[in-house]
This record gives sequence, C-alpha cells and structure tokens, in this order.
Amino acid sequence: MATVPLAGRSPGQIAWRRFKRNKVGVACSLVVACYFLIAAGAPLISWLYGKNAEERYGYKLLDASGYPPPPTGGMSAEFWLGIEPGLGRDVFMQLVFGIRTSLTIALIATLGVMLMGITLGITAGYVGGRTDYWISRVIDVLLAFPGQLFLIALVPVVDAMLVDPEEATPNSLRFTTLCIVLIALGWMGSARILRSQVLSMREREFVEAAKVSGASPRRIIFREIMPNLWSPIIVLATGILPALVGVEAGLGFLGVGLGPDVPDWGRMFQEGVQYYHLDFPYLLWPGLAMVIFIISFNLMGDAVRDALDPKSGRTS
Amino acid sequence: MTVNRRALAVLAAGALVLTGCAKGGAGGSAPGQASQSPSVAMPTQAGESKQAKVKAGTPQDSQGPAIEVPGSKKGGTVRVIASSDFSHLDPGQIYVSNNAQASELINRGLMGYKQLRNGDVLVVGDLSADTGTTTDGGKTWTFKLKDGVKWEDGEPVTSEDVKWSFERLYDPIINQGPTYVQQWLVDGDYRKTYPGAYSGKRLDTIETPDAKTVVFNLKSAHPDFNMALAMSGYGIVPKKHTMDKSKQKDYDKKPVASGPYRVVSHIGDKSMDLERNPHWDPATDPIRNAYPDKWRFEFGVTAQQSTDRLIADSGDDQTTISINGLGSERIPEVVADGELMKRSISGYTPFTDYWVINTSRVKNPKVREALIKAWPIEAIHKLSGGDAGWGHRASTMMSPTVPGFRKFDVWGQLDNPEGDIEAAKKLLAESGEPNPTIVYAYGSTPLPGKVALLVQEALTKAGFKYVGKKIDSGTWYDSVGQLDNGFDVFRSGWAADWADGSTVMAPLFDGRLIAEGSTNYSQFNDPAVNSAIDEANKLTDPEARGEAWSKIDEQVIKQAAVIPGFYLTYLDLRGSKVWAEMDNWWGSTNLKTAFVAE
Repeated sequence: MATVPLAGRSPGQIAWRRFKRNKVGVACSLVVACYFLIAAGAPLISWLYGKNAEERYGYKLLDASGYPPPPTGGMSAEFWLGIEPGLGRDVFMQLVFGIRTSLTIALIATLGVMLMGITLGITAGYVGGRTDYWISRVIDVLLAFPGQLFLIALVPVVDAMLVDPEEATPNSLRFTTLCIVLIALGWMGSARILRSQVLSMREREFVEAAKVSGASPRRIIFREIMPNLWSPIIVLATGILPALVGVEAGLGFLGVGLGPDVPDWGRMFQEGVQYYHLDFPYLLWPGLAMVIFIISFNLMGDAVRDALDPKSGRTS
Repeated sequence: MTVNRRALAVLAAGALVLTGCAKGGAGGSAPGQASQSPSVAMPTQAGESKQAKVKAGTPQDSQGPAIEVPGSKKGGTVRVIASSDFSHLDPGQIYVSNNAQASELINRGLMGYKQLRNGDVLVVGDLSADTGTTTDGGKTWTFKLKDGVKWEDGEPVTSEDVKWSFERLYDPIINQGPTYVQQWLVDGDYRKTYPGAYSGKRLDTIETPDAKTVVFNLKSAHPDFNMALAMSGYGIVPKKHTMDKSKQKDYDKKPVASGPYRVVSHIGDKSMDLERNPHWDPATDPIRNAYPDKWRFEFGVTAQQSTDRLIADSGDDQTTISINGLGSERIPEVVADGELMKRSISGYTPFTDYWVINTSRVKNPKVREALIKAWPIEAIHKLSGGDAGWGHRASTMMSPTVPGFRKFDVWGQLDNPEGDIEAAKKLLAESGEPNPTIVYAYGSTPLPGKVALLVQEALTKAGFKYVGKKIDSGTWYDSVGQLDNGFDVFRSGWAADWADGSTVMAPLFDGRLIAEGSTNYSQFNDPAVNSAIDEANKLTDPEARGEAWSKIDEQVIKQAAVIPGFYLTYLDLRGSKVWAEMDNWWGSTNLKTAFVAE
C-alpha cells in the first residue's frame, strides 16, 4: 500500500505555494528581477553595447538648439534609444546606468529604513512607558518635517563640513549623504506600524507564557515576537522601495541629488518633461521604464502580502 | 561711476531666468541693496541679428510728436501679461527694466529713449527741449523744459519740480534707484552730505534761474551726464503731490502722471489699469506714440503660461502682448513655426554673459589664454538651446546695444567655437605650468551643472586639473563678490545702465575699485586700462567715447581677464490683433509704440 507521506508544511512553504499560484505576482517579480539584473550588470551591458554613459557620442548630430534629429530623438542602430538633448550622450546607456544608480540608493535606503524602523518600533512597542513616549514624539516631530526642504538645506551643510574648499564634492559623499538623509527621514512610518503590532502582541498569551517561564526579553523579542513580524516587514519594504526610487528622482531635479555626470533615472525623467514637446522619446523611455518598474514592484508587493497574510488582502 | 546693476542670470531647467538686478556699492556710494524682480531674457532666430545702434540724439530729435508707425491706429485696449507686478512706479525707486518699461507710459524724465523706425535708439530730451547743454566739458549742465508739459492735474511741469525730484533722491526713503547722479552733485558720501528734500534743506548745486530752466553744477566733469538722466530712476515727480513723505508707498503704486497714461487702478500682484492722461500733449513728446486708449496689465502669469496663451491666440489674448519672454520649454517649437514667428518680437537685450577669470588667482596670462582657447563655447551654446536659448555667441564685453560696439574676436572664439584643445595644450606648455588647477564655480540649478560637465571635459582634455564647486544660485553674487572667494573661473552677466561704455568697462575692470563685494569680479588691475578709463571718461564727443570704450574692451580681452560668452537675446510673441515691436534699449517688448491693429 503506497502511502502518501504526510509532511507538515512550514508557514514559509505555504506562503510560497500561495505566491506561485498568483500569476500576476510571479510575472511582476520576474520583471523586477530583470531590473535588478540590469542594474547589477550595467558595466557588462555597456561593454556589449560598445558605449559608455559619459561620452558625448551624438553631439555632432544635435541641431543648433541642441535637439537630436526628430521625430525619434535620434534613435538608430547606433543609438538604440536615441541621443540625449543638449549634451549628446547615449540615452540607452544613461537609462541603464541611471537605473543602477537609483536602485542602489533606493535599496540601501530601504534596508536602512527597515533596520531603523524595526529597531525603534519594537523597542517602543515592547519597552513601553517613557521610552515609547519619547520615540513616538520623535516620530511625530520627524513626520511633521518637510523632508525635501530638509534635504535641500542639509546637503550643502554636509558638503561644507566635509569638503576642502579647494576640492570638488565627490559623488561618493553625495551618495552617502542622500542615503543617510533618506533613511533619517523615512523610517518613521514603518516604526509606527511595527510598534502597534508589537503592542498588540505583547499582551498575547504566548508572550505572557514565555515571560512566566522566565524567558529573557532578548529571547522574547527574537524568538517570540520577531517571527510574527516578518510578514508586515516584507510588505512594508516592498512598498517603501518604489516610493524611495521616486523620492530620489525628485531630488536630482532640485539640484541636491547626484551631479549631472552620474546618470540618474529620476533626473532623466524630469529633463524629459522639459524636452517632450520636440523630443518625446527622451521622456518616453525613462518614463516608461519607471512606470513599469513601480507598477511591477507594487503588484509584486501585493502578491507577497496576499501570500503571507491571506486574511488581510483580497481573497485568492 | 561705481555703482552698477548686474543681472543675476540663474540658469534654470535648461533656460535662462534673469531674476533681477542687484546693485553693489563701492567707492563711497550707497551700500549694496538687492532688488529682486523677475526680468526677462531670451532669444532671436538663428542668424538674425538686428544690430540696432544706440546713440545720442540731436535737439531736433527731441521735438515731439513721436514718429508715426506705418499702419498704426489709435484707440482700443492693449493687454499686457507679466509674471510679476511692477515693484515700483515711483521714478526714484526704479532700477530694473520691467519697472522702467511700465514707468515710461506714466512718468517722464528730462531725457528718454526714442526708437527710430530702423530700430536704432536715440537718447533725446523728453521733458527737456534739447539734450542738455554744457560749455565746460560736462561739469555744468543746463536743461530747458519744453512748453506745454503738464501733470495729470493740468499743472505745468516746472524747474522746481525737477530740482525737488533730485533732492528727493537723497532721502533714505528712496533706496532702490540708481545712485550715480546723487553722488555727482555733492562731495563725499551723498547719503551723509545732504539729508534730502524732506529735511527742509535745499541742494544748492541744482539751480533754477526761471520756471523753465534747470542748471546742474556737477562736482566733476561727466560728459555722459545727459545720457545717465535717461535712466527711469531719474524721472521727474510733481512737488505738490510728493510733499508728504508718509504717502510714498501709495505714490509708488499710483504715481501722478506726466506721460500719456495715468493709473486708474493698481491692485498689487493682480492687475493695473491705465487710461489716457488728458493733459498730455503729444506735440511735446518725441518718444511715446501712445496709440491705445487703455492698457490692462495682468500679473502672475508665468512665462510658460503667457507663451501658451499667445500661441493659442484666442479671445482677449489676441490683443495681448507679454513682457515675460518665451517660456524656455517652448522656444524651439516657436522658432520652428513660421506662422508663429510672424507674431514674434525678438532682438538683443542689453546683457552680456561671460565667464570671469579671477586674475588674482590665475596670474599667468598664458594659462588664462589657454582657458579661453579650450573653452567649449559652442557645446554650451547648443546645450542652452542655441541662439534662441541663451543668446548669440559673444567675443566682446560690450553688448551690441552699447554705443561704440565693435565686433572683434581676439582669441578666434567665433571662428573656432568648439574650442581649440591643441592650442590650449601648447599655451600651457609655454606657460611653464602644464597642469594648473582650475576651480570652476557654478550654480546649483540643472543647466549650470551640465555646463560644468562640458567645461570639465574640455579643460581636462587640455591638461588642466579641473575642480568643480557648486554654489547656491540664490547667493551667487554674494559668493563670487568676495575677494578671496577661492574660485578661478565663474559665470557672470552685465548690462549697461545708460547708453555709454563707461557703465560696462569701468565697474567691471577699473582696478582701483577692487574691494570686498565690488563688481570687478576678475580683480583685474592694469594701470594702462585704469588710465585709459580715465581718458575715455574725459571725452565729450559721444562717437569718440564709444570708440575709446570699445578699445578698452579689446585691451581687457587681450589680457584674457574674461571669457566672453553670450549676448543675451529676447524672444516673445504678441496676439494677432495687436502690433508691437522690440524695444531695442530695454531688450523686451516695446510698450511705447504698440497699437491695437483691428
């Protein structure tokens, strides 16, 4: 008699099975994976394509006002996505390296935001009392802060503090500043949500039981509470990353992002708005790429949430 | 001649936005005050260069009425859209050009700008019957008022009004206008020597022998004094209506008219309505045609909005003109559209933009020459939108609107606009510093950042060690005006205050004016140039003066104290049922000759 081995499934396995059933979610995560592959493999793509993002290959093709030949924006076998108006750099390379820059910053910032949110949210929720009060007030104050204004104000200050007046501000410093400020102004939302999760969990029986049996707070947090927080954390992170890509995009335009020598996805999009009347492709490509990325990422996030926590989302 | 206005050209989002004029004080003049007001600057069609000449007129030119515009019609209402309200209409407070343009419809001065049908501009007597007379080389000036010039209440304009108007400029309440003439009329710092009209004391250097005659006794010779009086800041106000100092703020919004129009209503930042001044006699006025019966100004319309409205050309916008200049985003498509260009207004503004080479840091002339040789001017030109974007490529400091302008190209910038890297390398090899470090300062808006990229590429290729410094565009001139600013090369812009080269060359290159916050940004001090400036200032013949200033221009450029950049251009549209031309002095849409066509 053949026996079907009855194996229990872990919650992770159950979620994975649920996720795999969601066709949209799977497709979107493949798209997102493609973006990360492009970002990671940008130098390889550049080598295969035969151009880099810096050189002004198409400068000679621009007209007297700095526009590439209409209506395709200079698209050709040589310049796949056309030529950048004004400077004449290759749009395809700008886009590939721009995605790399934006995703790197957004990824680092998301990790930072989640780390801070988790630490402070759990501390506030679990310790309670005075600690909770002060952390919550700090969150309130920071949420009231106009984030972009703060960025504009902070970047020159950091530059002045760290850079010798005889030297240019290195882009690595700008990069670091951006990440730090994005994290400093972005962790509050997740901290708040996690705090409330922990608050409700703290009074539950399994935590009480652990306490009664003499478990240390460290054990309670890491072994009892944290495993129950992974779903909200992942859901939060999948929402924050595309939002940060957008924020980073806006900063480039305001002049506090990376310099124009560093390809930047967001800045391309913003410049495209300026040129679109006569050079629509220059707006189209970065715009389309960004729309696809953000939609895919959000749908993937939805699918992840549905898989991890089927009760809270739509029925599947 | 120490104070001058300068354009703060902030290159924003691919185009140029001139955000007003600041005045820097030096050599015992008024302390610098910044007045911000969005002014304009933009394009002409590629290749088209209306090289209007500005020069002194004759007494005959000063007689009214104004030259008829062929096809003109009287009557109707002309609408004007502008991004911001006129910050001042009290003549004493007027410096920036958009205020000056509106002021010309309402206020009159002793002198004014008369545009001829061929586009040339003459500086002629406005209230004055002639262009002023001097017998001692420009120290004593006599002006006779015309017969029949009246205020809007019907009272005649008298020499007492003129004397009062100048005395009034010394009061601390008048603090936004030009300060040259005040300084010329007294010894020492003019703010300290004479407390102004409202103190009850009189200024004895202005005499009024009779009701029609005014005599100015300057402390030193200024052969261009009459030219300076054409500044709107030296407009005349009625003594009777300005006696009450506490009402100055009201007067600033609603001055008493001597010109063809009076202010009916002026709602701050929203609108202003003008109608005819019944006591204005066209026979006395050589400058203003005053065709429409009414003017309606609408404020708060950005350049892009005004451009879109004028492109659409519907309803009231058909009789509308703009003084904004085209929105930068629309320039290429307007230039490409033949039908739209029929409704365009274009020409040079008085501004030249250039790159300062800080000669106190870059001392080696060969290195400075190498900078000019390597400069990627055509790449910058294309980047900023070509002729219609930033302007025409320049090779001099004086713009084509300054009398005496002469085209020369010392460094072959016009012939070799892409920059000559090989020549730069050779010059660096000769200089003994094959790899000098150059600190390049640029504004924090997007376009200067991209310009910096081009500069970096070119300078690096030529062998320079490039160091870029991004500076907040809002405090640009405060940063670069410091003596030890630490920058080697940075952009600046300048326009003449009146029709004389002295207002360009002296404030920018007189080495004796170098001081903290002074406008000699190059910190250029050459005894030969200093004495040439003194010599040119002594000349009384306008032609000879123009020639002398142009020579100084060439002298300075030969020493590579600046990298000439662009002559700024203006481009705007008008509605299909209104006619308007370029104002070749203010570099914007001409309000004096506009009329409703249907």
